[in-house]
Amino acid sequence: MAQTTTGLVQFSGHQHLRLRLVLSLLSGKAVRIDKIRSEDKNPGLRDFEISLLRLLEKVTNGTVIEISVTGTAVLLKPGIISGGPLTHDCPLSRSIGYFLEPIIMLAPFAKKPLQLTLRGITTDDHDLSVDIFRTVTLPHLQLFGISDGLELRIKKRGAPPAGGGEVQFLCPIVKQVKTLNFVEPGKIKRIRGIAHAVRVNPQFSNRMIEASRSVLNRYIPDIYLYSDVYKGEESGKSPGYALSLLAESTTSALHCSEAISQPGVAPEDVALQATRALLAEIDKGGCVDRQHQTLVLLMMVLGSEDVGRCRMGEPTPRTIQFLRDVRSFFGTSFKIVAADPLEKECSHLLYSCYGTGYINSNRTLA
Amino acid sequence: MDERPHKPHRPSQSGAKAEKKDKGKGKEKQHGFNEKAFAPKSGRRADRQGRRNVERDQTRLHVPLVNRTPDSEPPPVIIAIVGPPGVGKTTLLKSLVRRYTKQTLNEVKGPVTVVSGKKRRLTFIECNNDLNSMIDIGKIADLVLLMIDGSFGFEMETFEFLNVLQSHGFPKVIGILTHLDLIKKAATLKDTKKALKKRFWTEIYQGAKLFYLSGVLNGRYPDTEIMNLSRFVSVMKFRPLVFRNAHPYLLADRIEDLTPREQVRQSKGKCDRNVTVYGYVRGTNLRLGTKVHIPGVGDLDMKSVTILGDPCPLPDADSEKRRKLSEKKKLLIHAPMSDIGGVMYDKDAVWINVPGSFTRGNADVPQGEGEQMVMDLQDAGATLEDGVAQSHIRLFGSSSKHLTVEAPADNDESDGYEDESGDEEEDESGIDSDDGSEGEDEDNVPDPHSTGRSSRRDVRRTLPTASTSKIQRADVEYAESDSDLGDEDEDEEMGKRFRMEDGDRLDIPSDDDMMDEGEDEDEAAPKWKANLAAKAQAASSSSRRRKDWMKLIYSSELTPEEVLAGKEERSADVEGEDGDDDDDFFRLQPATNKNEDEEVDSSKEMWKEEDLKKWEDDEVLDSIRGLFITGPAVQDGGEAEGYEDAEEAGGDFEDLEAGDDAPAPSASEPMKAESSRAAALAAKKEELKRKFDEQYDDPESSKVDFYTEKKDEISRQLQLNIEEFRDVSAESRALVEGFRPGTYVRIEFVDVPCEMIEHFDPAYPIIVGGLLPAEERFGYVQVRIKRHRWYVKTLKTNDPLIFSLGWRRFQSVPIYSLDDHSIRMRMLKYTPEHMHCYATFYGPVSLPNTGFCAFNSLSADTPGFRVSATGVVLDIDRSVKIVKKIKLTGVPYKIFKNTAFVRDMFSTALEVAKFEGANIRTVSGIRGQVKKGLSKPDGAFRATFEDKVLKSDIIFLRAWYSIQPRKFYNPVTSLLLSDKSQWAGMRLTGQVRREEGIKTPLNVNSTYKRIERPERRFNPLIIPKKLQAALPYASKPRIMKPQRQQTYMQKRAVVMEPEERKAVALLQQIRALRKDQVVRRREKKSEKKMEHLKKVEKDEEKKNEKVKERKKEVMRATGRKSKREAEAEEGRGSKRRKT
Repeated sequence: MAQTTTGLVQFSGHQHLRLRLVLSLLSGKAVRIDKIRSEDKNPGLRDFEISLLRLLEKVTNGTVIEISVTGTAVLLKPGIISGGPLTHDCPLSRSIGYFLEPIIMLAPFAKKPLQLTLRGITTDDHDLSVDIFRTVTLPHLQLFGISDGLELRIKKRGAPPAGGGEVQFLCPIVKQVKTLNFVEPGKIKRIRGIAHAVRVNPQFSNRMIEASRSVLNRYIPDIYLYSDVYKGEESGKSPGYALSLLAESTTSALHCSEAISQPGVAPEDVALQATRALLAEIDKGGCVDRQHQTLVLLMMVLGSEDVGRCRMGEPTPRTIQFLRDVRSFFGTSFKIVAADPLEKECSHLLYSCYGTGYINSNRTLA
Repeated sequence: MDERPHKPHRPSQSGAKAEKKDKGKGKEKQHGFNEKAFAPKSGRRADRQGRRNVERDQTRLHVPLVNRTPDSEPPPVIIAIVGPPGVGKTTLLKSLVRRYTKQTLNEVKGPVTVVSGKKRRLTFIECNNDLNSMIDIGKIADLVLLMIDGSFGFEMETFEFLNVLQSHGFPKVIGILTHLDLIKKAATLKDTKKALKKRFWTEIYQGAKLFYLSGVLNGRYPDTEIMNLSRFVSVMKFRPLVFRNAHPYLLADRIEDLTPREQVRQSKGKCDRNVTVYGYVRGTNLRLGTKVHIPGVGDLDMKSVTILGDPCPLPDADSEKRRKLSEKKKLLIHAPMSDIGGVMYDKDAVWINVPGSFTRGNADVPQGEGEQMVMDLQDAGATLEDGVAQSHIRLFGSSSKHLTVEAPADNDESDGYEDESGDEEEDESGIDSDDGSEGEDEDNVPDPHSTGRSSRRDVRRTLPTASTSKIQRADVEYAESDSDLGDEDEDEEMGKRFRMEDGDRLDIPSDDDMMDEGEDEDEAAPKWKANLAAKAQAASSSSRRRKDWMKLIYSSELTPEEVLAGKEERSADVEGEDGDDDDDFFRLQPATNKNEDEEVDSSKEMWKEEDLKKWEDDEVLDSIRGLFITGPAVQDGGEAEGYEDAEEAGGDFEDLEAGDDAPAPSASEPMKAESSRAAALAAKKEELKRKFDEQYDDPESSKVDFYTEKKDEISRQLQLNIEEFRDVSAESRALVEGFRPGTYVRIEFVDVPCEMIEHFDPAYPIIVGGLLPAEERFGYVQVRIKRHRWYVKTLKTNDPLIFSLGWRRFQSVPIYSLDDHSIRMRMLKYTPEHMHCYATFYGPVSLPNTGFCAFNSLSADTPGFRVSATGVVLDIDRSVKIVKKIKLTGVPYKIFKNTAFVRDMFSTALEVAKFEGANIRTVSGIRGQVKKGLSKPDGAFRATFEDKVLKSDIIFLRAWYSIQPRKFYNPVTSLLLSDKSQWAGMRLTGQVRREEGIKTPLNVNSTYKRIERPERRFNPLIIPKKLQAALPYASKPRIMKPQRQQTYMQKRAVVMEPEERKAVALLQQIRALRKDQVVRRREKKSEKKMEHLKKVEKDEEKKNEKVKERKKEVMRATGRKSKREAEAEEGRGSKRRKT
């Protein structure tokens, strides 16, 4: 799928667009993606993808984005990642998480610390909610030494379909990310959660907490589920509620799950769904959960020229494609072996790679 | 006699003897450390001493830096020999090589690698006097032997070289003074040494090592002096330099052109070439897929990199065992460009060149048995194939046909050509091991003739790269294996070098061998053969049980979903096409599932309904209790141990221990399991012991300071780096982590400019510098720059400058600027005198904090110091914001109270609209503002001021005009020239005009003209009489007429009294006397002045004589130098200074 001529990497298909753009911007290789929904009734790039390209253009300096007339092909010649204070309005077709995910991968390597304000839907079905970003994704970056001044402020919440939420993402810059060596999953020592409700009865969040505790209480006593109710201006334009849970292990491995309100579903059922998803995630084990595999693997590739190791579960389809894409952009391949060759039923894998020694060349000296 | 005892000896209590004894005692006492002697006398002093000690300890510490060069098999240390021509560089190189290898080189070209000790190899390289070479050498040398002509002193090139070194990370420098024998007088010699040492120390550091080499004996420096120098070199420690620790690089010790001859012939030598370079990887790991830069040539893509056998291996235990006393045997030298090692390694061939006496004509030199044997073999008229064909050997008595030679049979060892000694004979025992590289079972027969070189080869035997081997000696070849014979015939016909291209070999090894490397390895290492079957079975069983993720992800065409669904390979042949670019013409497009509409790019991994359903069951819920800290501990398996540890250590893990828990899956299961369990147990015990020791023995010892902590961290990570890929085959290891420093590689480049080969000169070093991904790009680079204080001219904005930045040397056009109160970056026309400023230019990106130096010209005939500026990279960007000041002027044409109408500043109303509200000012300092454009004269506007302006005032508006650096980048392609020192870049306009004989165009408006200023006449103010009369008194003009009448005093005559007259006369006399005295005094003074002048004149004459003398001396010295240069140009090697 990926063909590399000098300095240009080619892909086809609309899948995995975000990660490919991110890899292009980080590696400095131009990327050309064609056959974007060329067989579809509604061919070409969707509005949210265009919006993402706009956002990437804002974050960078000197990036050239060329979209074909039909919108089925994109050429991106990366510039440098500049950062700084920015604002972006996300379309209502996707939530903020869709835009935040690539930005999180780019922001540590910018010229100036990024202060990005995003407006739109904060929680939806497809993408990670801003709560998960704040409580789970950002701690994952801390594993790589990106910590001081890393913050996600949820100013307003916005449930689908009308949105109206607003978050501010602050990210420091680093010279080089640390090499990861994370092979002990540890045991779960605490569970935290956030139940939020906007423009509905505030009692809903308490009901969700109650239902979730009924399952989780049997495991450990250290469970805190916060009820987070936004009111008035801060609560966005549509009603909705959701529960996000996270479990932390003794070695600070994080697992998370989330469920959001559906029409005609009781809050208790939403809570149970989230809780069971969390248990399933814990059962899967590993040091990194499935949602954050790509982020962790990317940062491992960008580490110093040392061996980084991480123990995770089986790769998701996204991860598999990501690993292939990483090879075509950075030339780095991972060594993937079973973590415990002695244990028959253990499905954990040990991912190890030799970092590329990526140094943030955008950073300004003095 | 009486039994009285003898009087005992009584030592003298005083006198010389007693003192002598005391002295002796005192000396004895000094051996031990006398605590009392150094005990502080007071508490305050003790405190101060303690502080001082602690401070001194801190100065010893350096910032912990990771050293990426492996300790086990480091690449050879590069020792560059630098100095002006005629200083004795080649002599030193020859002497050093002689010291290490007992061989005398006739001609030195390119790098020479020798083994200097158990753990160290040295690569010597001589640097010529070209500035380009000096820059390149300065970027790669680990140690510089800086040669200085003691009889002449420092030369400009030496200082230039030191400044180049300084800006690219300072390697170690040892100074060497030569030609000291030319100074005859001992006192002068002492003074010269002292003076030169002082100067050298100020350049390097106080106490830098400076060697003195006296005369030349037999074309070499004295052996003792060279031995001292070599001892210094062998114990020298090197600190990693930041730039080299982040980039892979390679000093090519050989270069070959692989272009098909026919193609070259057809294009008349003008086609782009296929070139291979050979050398040891240094710095960091070299990876395929990245670009490299060859300074002097340009950026190139690596087509392939292959590991070759080490041509100059370090001795190991095995080779030491086989080493013979005969000294010739232990000495290794690798200098392919000089053709002296006699052995060259190619991917598929080994070349032996026999120099000097080892040719047939040389009968007068006594030859050993071995040599004689080889000579006899050279006499063979027919090849082995012919011989066998003609022989009538029958395998069985009954067989009717003779034995014939056919396609590849098994390789037979032929160490036969190995020979013993001889004057010029080279050590070539290394080749004998290459023949076994097919991987056929080769059981290391201890060969009595083999030496250190052969041992290294064993490790590489499995590599397909060194697959076949050919030995060529003069024009007769020796087939190592029968399979080679076919090729050999052709070789013979061509009568020249022939290389086999194996295009079919894939550069990226398929992961097949990565996973099945077990089998390959087994064949190579016979000691593992014991449990081969068991291993194979284990491997196959494990692959049956588990998915091979690496293979599925990296070398299959399955979609990610199919991989997860557990689908295996669709077909084997698909796999090979993974990296292919243009073969997809006829490939069937895999049918994409269109019906599955709109697959969302979602990062949330959803659970299926049934996955969640099972969690309703209590039993299932209980089953994961073990994963929580409150749950029961799992007892079996290594993982459980890990958990227990986790609880005890509170999340603080030993990384290495975990590494033991996860061995490779290819291992044989039961044995591995047991051993790993034992290892885990041992590790756990160790951990517990450490903890116990910490708690009970010495609680302080566990507290390490920051420095030690960092160093430990670095060493732990390095250990992990080694451990992680230890059990992976060399091929796949190279794929995952690149080619490690210390490996000898062959890099193939395509599309190399033909001039590089056509004008190749081994005296100019070829460096292959790896580029980081960021460095392949172009952009605006902002640097902090300072003009070198020895460079005489100032630097001007938009004048081209040659930068040496990173690996590159290039010309670009900088714009100088300064930060103007942190508001704007303001352009400077010239660099400041003694200050840093910024410069921005377009060029290839380099990481911030990279040092650079700049030159205006690289040519040797530039007078004066050539390093024009030095600095450091600050910022990389795609756009720049530099402004220069522009002043728009206008004049008021109508003035009201504080308002004026101004014209001539703008030409249209639109322009005025753009500047509405801008601040303006008059020359006299009255400030104002642009208000609004006027309709009538185009471009006029209304402005208000703080005061009334004059009509004669000029009004100006200060604005900022942003400028962009020109996008000009011109790499210094010095290696592509036939005369490598004559590179010419972009010239200045003035230079072009001068060289082309064009006159500077003269704009009439720009010429200076005499300014004609008419004299202003002011008419007298005349007030009419009538008006004067009407004026009040105070306002009346006071005009006085000159007095005409005599005054009262003038009208009267004065008659003096006699007394008075006397007094007046006396006064007059006194005055006269005084006048006379003054005159006489003046005369005397002038006389004295004349005398003094004469004296001064005399002195001047003397001084002039001295100056003349000195000038003569200087001229003599320059004459000597120019003569020497002329000599050097005539012929380097042949001309030697008579001593």
